[in-house]
Amino acid sequence: MTVITWLGLLAAVIWTTTVVSWCRRAARGPHGEAWRRFFRHPTSTAGVAVLVFFATAAVFAPLLAPYSPSRQLDIVALQNHPPSWLFLLGTDVYSRDIWSRLLFGAQVSLGIGTLGMAVAVGLGGLVGAVAGYFRGWTDAVLMRLVDVGLSIPRIFIVLLAIVLWERLGTASLILLLGLTGWFATSRLVRGEVLSLRERPFTEAARAVGARSWRIITRHILPNALAPLIISAALGIGHMMLLEAGLSFLGVGVAPPAPSWGNMIAEGRDQITTAPWTSLFPGLAIALTVMALNAIGDALRDALDPQAEVTFPAGD
Amino acid sequence: MTAWLLRRLAAAFAIVLAVVSFAFIAIHLAPGTPFLPEEGRPINPAAVARLRAEFGLDRPLPEQYVRYLAALAHGDLGESFSQRRPVSQAIASAIPSTVRLAGAALVIDFLLGIALGVFQAARARRRSDAALTSATLFLYSLPVFWLGLVLLLVFGQWLHWLPVGGETDVVLYPYLSFFGRLFDRLKHLALPALTLGVIGAAGTARFQRAALLEVLGQDFIRTARAKGLTQSAVLVRHALRDALLPVIALLGLALPFLLTGAVLIETVFAWPGLGKLATDAIAARDYPLVLAATLLASVAVVLGSLVADVLTALADPRVRLTA
Amino acid sequence: MLATRSQSSAVALTLSLLAAIACTRRGGCRDEYCGTLVVTATGSITTLLPPLSDAAAERDIFDQIFLRLADLKAGASTIGDSGFVPQLARSWEWTDPLTLTFHLDPRARWQDGPPVTATDVQFTYESYVDTLVSSADMTTLSHIASVTALDSLTAVFKFKDRYPEAFFDATFHMRILPEHVLRNVPRAEWRTTPFGRSPIGNGPYRFLRMVPGQSVELVADSGFFLGRPHLRRLIWRFATDLPVAVTQVIAGDADAIEVLVSPPNIQRAEATPHLALYPYAGGTYTFMRFNLRANGNATRPHPLFADPDVRRALVLATDRASMVQSVYAGHAKVPPGPIAQMWTWLWDIPGLAPPPFDTTQASQLLTMRGWRDTNGDGIRDRAGVRLSFHVAVPTTSAGRKQYARLLQEQLRAVGAELVIDEMDNAALSEHEHAGTFDAALESWQTDPTPSSGVPQIWGSAGGSNYGHYANATFDRYVAAAAKAPDPSAARADWVAAFATLDRDAPGIMLYALDNVAAVDKRVTDVQVRPDSWLALVRNWRIPPDQLNERDRVGH
Repeated sequence: MTVITWLGLLAAVIWTTTVVSWCRRAARGPHGEAWRRFFRHPTSTAGVAVLVFFATAAVFAPLLAPYSPSRQLDIVALQNHPPSWLFLLGTDVYSRDIWSRLLFGAQVSLGIGTLGMAVAVGLGGLVGAVAGYFRGWTDAVLMRLVDVGLSIPRIFIVLLAIVLWERLGTASLILLLGLTGWFATSRLVRGEVLSLRERPFTEAARAVGARSWRIITRHILPNALAPLIISAALGIGHMMLLEAGLSFLGVGVAPPAPSWGNMIAEGRDQITTAPWTSLFPGLAIALTVMALNAIGDALRDALDPQAEVTFPAGD
Repeated sequence: MTAWLLRRLAAAFAIVLAVVSFAFIAIHLAPGTPFLPEEGRPINPAAVARLRAEFGLDRPLPEQYVRYLAALAHGDLGESFSQRRPVSQAIASAIPSTVRLAGAALVIDFLLGIALGVFQAARARRRSDAALTSATLFLYSLPVFWLGLVLLLVFGQWLHWLPVGGETDVVLYPYLSFFGRLFDRLKHLALPALTLGVIGAAGTARFQRAALLEVLGQDFIRTARAKGLTQSAVLVRHALRDALLPVIALLGLALPFLLTGAVLIETVFAWPGLGKLATDAIAARDYPLVLAATLLASVAVVLGSLVADVLTALADPRVRLTA
Repeated sequence: MLATRSQSSAVALTLSLLAAIACTRRGGCRDEYCGTLVVTATGSITTLLPPLSDAAAERDIFDQIFLRLADLKAGASTIGDSGFVPQLARSWEWTDPLTLTFHLDPRARWQDGPPVTATDVQFTYESYVDTLVSSADMTTLSHIASVTALDSLTAVFKFKDRYPEAFFDATFHMRILPEHVLRNVPRAEWRTTPFGRSPIGNGPYRFLRMVPGQSVELVADSGFFLGRPHLRRLIWRFATDLPVAVTQVIAGDADAIEVLVSPPNIQRAEATPHLALYPYAGGTYTFMRFNLRANGNATRPHPLFADPDVRRALVLATDRASMVQSVYAGHAKVPPGPIAQMWTWLWDIPGLAPPPFDTTQASQLLTMRGWRDTNGDGIRDRAGVRLSFHVAVPTTSAGRKQYARLLQEQLRAVGAELVIDEMDNAALSEHEHAGTFDAALESWQTDPTPSSGVPQIWGSAGGSNYGHYANATFDRYVAAAAKAPDPSAARADWVAAFATLDRDAPGIMLYALDNVAAVDKRVTDVQVRPDSWLALVRNWRIPPDQLNERDRVGH
């Protein structure tokens, strides 16, 4: 760690506290009812803080990281070095600085989690809206498809990962995560749309002669945002855990690019001699997923206080 | 009810067929072939080709698919390439282990989870609730395999309190008394079941707490309170029954877990269950075994959701069964 | 009153439960011939029929069940027959230059009763070379013309030509099979016959039971004609992968493991008071193979690796000594060629040394061949082609995965880009066979002599020569070595062969492992043979005062 990177870390912490206090100030304002409900949860403040910190770290990783994440400093002398002033979180078995890898890993893990979730929520929202709006055969067919998807066991996903791996690489990972995660969202959105289509504004739109597609995109989906946003927040965390599990089984992000998942996998053999190698990425995942879950819970209260209790998304 | 059940069963059949078909295509598309020797040993291409022909792998894919379905219709799951014995035997030997692990994990999950959830809801918004919320949140967010590794390290290696893998003691088990065997099994079961159970319990607790709080906020509760009933009486007699419903449904969804096994935990603890069987089968490109495991898993999932719906309907006559 | 009564009955119940739990059967085995060795291994058992077996774990097991005609002494030369000790054959002689006659020991018996006869030997040979069986050792037996049973105790081997390792080929690969049991099983059905999961042999241990995917148990044959084994039982316990297996040994749930492999594992074992470590020369070597033909098109040369100077430059650019130190901390060596440590007579020879580490020379070579970084991205290019290639790495090998990342960094320093493709074994095999790879990190297990493996892996006609390396000089030296009349002549030929190969650099020779086995300290007289670490396990013993609970249990 150099002086500049220490200062950078300090700046990131200060920035995080600033953002959190902005949010809380919004809660005190006149239009802050939703914010107030949000912050009533005991863990939501901490969740926002953790998420903002890691997001900042991800975005500014090149500035905050003292070393390049793939740089092997001295494969004999600096291997498996415990945490110290020079190496904030120690070095791994390839003598790479773990703090730097954690920062760049945030980019990859959060990025993959977000993109995977975007695919899942996008696809799920669309399918759910179409099924809920059109009903009848469309609904039946699409929901059967969703049932099939929900019935796909975990090992099949691993199998699929191996099959697709060669052709696509990291893109296939995102695709896999997205394609296996949209089913629960579609059910949720469908339920919401089923009730929304009976509302007066939908009838009005139909009476005016608007086309179905327009009604769905312009009127229905914006009102179904609440479950979508909550799904998204919870979904990112789920995606990150899934990515970690896949990395552990050997089908994760390709080296030397770090992701929190493949850092745990790489550190597994050193768990007795250099436990910090898997400990810190594991903690990072746990804290981020925790933050996302906390935010998701709080969002549920804030956006939709009458929301139905929904089943957690699989295991 | 019967009509609904028949419709659901028909749908279930179609779903399982679809999943197995997808798996069939996927496993045949995967690079590599079965019947290879260990890595670092020379390959005899003629022998591999002959074995492939023997098992019909050189026929066109649609023909293989039809043959497989025909055999399946007769209850023939085929022969395992890597274990050289009928697939049904291979799976039958792994099922009891998986059921034991998943059963223990589910017991811990639901007992602990429901108790925690009720406790938290009863003390909602107070300090203990906040602390437990953070704790369950943390546990819920941990990667399961990471927790398993840490527990194995601490209890298995550093403290030597519990064995580090397997289901029973390889040497001593046949010679133990009945209680000795029971104790041996419990010792081996403890860590993997705890890892899965505790993380599951965190999720269940969150869920149960939310469900109970929602019920507690409803009108009929306020009526009961107004009538002068104490908090605990209200909780137990009125709220809990309604709040347990969603959790019972959760049980139905968790049932498939009994058979799919926890792949990652079985790897870490060398537990000889279906998850490990399936992963090994994929690595060995043991097509019949992979397909059978997928079949079993999807049947479990489909039946599990069916059971969840039935349980919910039975428990609450207000719920209408939707197709 | 009620409370006290229920209390005391509760106490009584608990106490009896505890007593029941604590009591295993008392008594049991307490003498010289007790002892249970729990061996932990990775992999799984498909079959225990020797000609069909492909896995090292299977070989360790059936080595105890089936005997060879003669066995190789530890570290002995494979040339001639002076390095062999009698096993099933009590004596032998060359009746003429092409005929080898074995006289079987009349005391040898099959575990189900009948004596071992020459008919079994003939049957075994015919099985090993039968295409329906497709044994991996078929090619090594190709010099043998026939095996006949002269009488019940005399087996005659006729060779097609005379060469120094004829005795080795006649004895090392074949484990003698029971003709009286297997003759009724059609060879096409040997893959699935129950015998493969419940074999009957003639060795020091007999098969007791197997739990597929979990364990195999062998029990000592007290009437074994070469001496009763001291350890009463051998139990193999299978773990999913190496970290799990090592944890079992360290925790005391298992007694022995063949190779600890990595320095963290060795450190943990060293720190464990009840384990003793036994280093022995390893029989594997690992290298990164270059594909000299185009990826996916064997008719065209590879755009990067067809040029020997590029290959040499890449070898020079890698600091193999530091990598070995980093990954194996001194428990492996950089080999002077595709040479395992087990071939001790090929090490420390002047004239055969690993290429040096010299990044300056590497850069110069590359620049001289026209590879310059014209667009400033840090990677050299020439005529529009970047010096970038993919290396296939198996996910099952932690050591090779580590090496891949180290190599990536080192090659980047000289302007070459290495992209790591991790895949499982089945996918890797497919790529190697189809030639759809640029480079692959391979590790091969070797026999006590180079003549069975090297022509296959590096010879121009070799079935495992996936990189299509072809050098007639190399092939000539290898052929000469196989025909060399004595060990020093053979060594000279092998040295010349490997020196040629090193100059051609068809791969980067990375490491040859020192194997370190860990065995519980209560086991004494531990002898480990490099080519098969448990070969001499029947001589291991546990003194009666060291017996632990697992040893004593049973009868």
